[in-house]
Amino acid sequence: MKLKTSYLSAAVIAAVVIAFPAFLGAYPLNVARSVMTYMALAISWDMLLRSGQISFGIAGLFGLGSYASAIAVMRGGMDPFLSILFAAAFAGVMAFALGFAILRLRAMYFSITTLALMEIFRIVMHNLHDFSGGPEGIVLSAPIFGGNSTALYWLCLAGLFITIGVSWYFEKSKMHLALTAIRNDETSARSNGVDIFRYLLVAFVITSIIQGMMGAIQIQSYGFTTPETAFDANFTLLPLAMALLGGIHSTIGPMAGAVLLGVASEWLKLKIPYGHLMVYGIIIILVILFMPQGLVGLARRMLRGSDKSGRKAGASHE
Amino acid sequence: MANKRNATMNVALITAVAAAILVWRPTVLINGLQSAGLYASIAIPMGLILGIVHIVNLAHGEFMMVAAYITYMLCAATGMDPFVAMVPVALVTAAFGFVIYKLTIRQALKAPELNQLILTFGLAISMTQLANLLFTSQTRKLSFDYVSASLDIGDLSFGVYKFVYIGIALLMIVGLKLFLTRTTTGKAALAVGQNPRGAAIVGIDVDRTYGLVFALASALVGMMGAVFITSASIFPAVGSPYTMKSFCLIAMAGIGNIPGILGASILLGVSENILKAFRGTRGWADIVFFVLIITVILGRSIRGKKA
Amino acid sequence: MSKLVTSGLTKAFSGLVAVNNVSFAMEEGEILGIIGPNGAGKTTFIHLVSGILMPTSGTVAFKGKDITYAPAHMRSRMGIARTYQLIHPLENLKVIENVMVGAVFSKDKSLREARRTAEEICAELELDRLERDTTQLSIFEIKKMEIARALANEPEVLFLDEVMAGLNSDETKGMIATVQRIATERKLAVGVVEHVMGVIRELTQRVIVLEAGELIAEGPYETVSKNPRVIEAYLGGAA
Repeated sequence: MKLKTSYLSAAVIAAVVIAFPAFLGAYPLNVARSVMTYMALAISWDMLLRSGQISFGIAGLFGLGSYASAIAVMRGGMDPFLSILFAAAFAGVMAFALGFAILRLRAMYFSITTLALMEIFRIVMHNLHDFSGGPEGIVLSAPIFGGNSTALYWLCLAGLFITIGVSWYFEKSKMHLALTAIRNDETSARSNGVDIFRYLLVAFVITSIIQGMMGAIQIQSYGFTTPETAFDANFTLLPLAMALLGGIHSTIGPMAGAVLLGVASEWLKLKIPYGHLMVYGIIIILVILFMPQGLVGLARRMLRGSDKSGRKAGASHE
Repeated sequence: MANKRNATMNVALITAVAAAILVWRPTVLINGLQSAGLYASIAIPMGLILGIVHIVNLAHGEFMMVAAYITYMLCAATGMDPFVAMVPVALVTAAFGFVIYKLTIRQALKAPELNQLILTFGLAISMTQLANLLFTSQTRKLSFDYVSASLDIGDLSFGVYKFVYIGIALLMIVGLKLFLTRTTTGKAALAVGQNPRGAAIVGIDVDRTYGLVFALASALVGMMGAVFITSASIFPAVGSPYTMKSFCLIAMAGIGNIPGILGASILLGVSENILKAFRGTRGWADIVFFVLIITVILGRSIRGKKA
Repeated sequence: MSKLVTSGLTKAFSGLVAVNNVSFAMEEGEILGIIGPNGAGKTTFIHLVSGILMPTSGTVAFKGKDITYAPAHMRSRMGIARTYQLIHPLENLKVIENVMVGAVFSKDKSLREARRTAEEICAELELDRLERDTTQLSIFEIKKMEIARALANEPEVLFLDEVMAGLNSDETKGMIATVQRIATERKLAVGVVEHVMGVIRELTQRVIVLEAGELIAEGPYETVSKNPRVIEAYLGGAA
């Protein structure tokens, strides 16, 4: 019964969101696209985080997807829509190859390496003048769907729906057990048949595909990119803050965080043109210190009525 | 024995490479050493925190940036020289570091490493953006005559001022060595770094030690911020690349190996300047460090597996 | 054929030899005690056999197949399961999910099948209210949950590293009965590490004694406990 209600409300929300272009103008649709892009990135970041790995390289795969798609269209004459699929696949293949090296790393070493990889991608695009347009970037002859704002909105929404679907599957399938086991206790996971590297690789490739796909959708919608915009650190920072605020290790948390912060940032951008990102920094600090479970965790606790603070399980390694 | 021979071989190899570069492009070696001094003196305070508090402070470069802005204001208002200003600035950043430690880092020490990384990441963003808010993203610069001091040897002419960074790095290495091995507080800090639980058992106040180390490291990086402004323009994001570089250098040297940071810095500084020496590869100089960091981290993880 | 055979198994940590040239065999249906003073290398030995550590030299064979360098997750799929001396609950999974992990990944079961297996095993071990968080469990319940998780791997060889430690005498009695029952019903080869000799005497048919990484005695507890070298090892350790 309860399950049916939640499916029903999800369907209603989806229908309303699909119908947005009917009653929203071009500017709100534009804002919505930006929120949806960040939301998809936030969810994808969280999906890998469920295994305990913190990526600081979201912008890297995002930018790589942008460039793969733009170059496929400009140099290969590929159909723009196909180029999005191509870029997603390209990001996946890159993640697969890189994963063999970097998924052996843990904690800060993994995080810093993902950040460094992002910088490498940016510098490469910056320097390959003939291939990627160098610092001036790439301008497409036209945005996809002739720049029709309704079509662009639906394209972005489709990317988001795919992301939500995959994340939901992660929560409901073996992936949930595998990733949580890896995050909680790798030794225990190994002794119970979990092939840690394989599951990390699957999670890393899938989240990279999502990030690459959203990057491709972004460039095809705006029609141009530069190394500095494609690999903008904000594409790492904002999703991270959104997921943390909403509540990590879930699909709904990053979604809630993205709606809140995404809309707030549009407003802040107008109020404080320089330094509105400070709000994100402060949110990250406050959430980590006082609300590590995020808004969703807070809501759950309030619904349950009491804080279950049981014995702290001593999961120390031998 | 084998280790000793390896070390001798390394020294011989490095001397040979350095001699070759000196003959081939003397400026590469000179510029390389100068940037190495800067890298090392910024990285050493971070290495101190990582070695004793075991926290990667992703806001490290931002501490320097804040110090540089304070110095800028102080010097612009009073006409003070940054080398004088560095004393009050170091005091201010020490207090600042101590407060940041007490208010934030300390609360996250027991939390998973994830929380610590994200916390200091949040600190970095807040500090950069605060600078953006107060000073906008416009670059600022102070000029001093002594910075342009140069030396002519034969037909080679080069700036000598930036050798001051090598001097600062050496001073820091020697100073920290003395502090950590000769003073009671330093010895306590070293003990805490090696085994906080054991140190607590023998009566060392771990929390106080962490606070002190944070304050000391902040003072050192604050000093560097003051000196930094003599030779570079500053802007809100000026610090962040140094966070990454510092982490990379510490990882190369191995956590706890402070003199090694200078060695790693020389490798990085000279490699970057080799690429900068050619028009065709100049744009790629930034990549050296990122490639180095990945190689080093992966190399360490593979060696760690074997051991 | 013996279920599990090690030959000349050795592990050195930068100079310190934790396990030194240990050769032994485990048979189907037997409960084998692994005893020795603190630091004798018992846990390291189990790490080597279960693939958590790789040996410096020597071999491990399972049902005649060499598995010396097989990764841990492959060994649990083949049929070697274990628990840990220090508890290892998966804190963000419910009790039932903790147990399901073994069935899902070692036996490739669907979530539905794994849940049924896990429920059966928990019922057998008298572990109830399976939708709880692991933080709400007592030590006794956590130990049972970890045994249940090991059993969900459907192993042929099972190592229990100090599962009785921290339990009161009633709980210990119950645990001894449980271990005996699962060993006979499932025809398991069980290796138990315990410090309480009463438990070892009651539970095991045979023991091996490790001292400073070396196997110094082997046989029924009654015989081994009279062995002067074993007495020396324990007294020496205590002095």
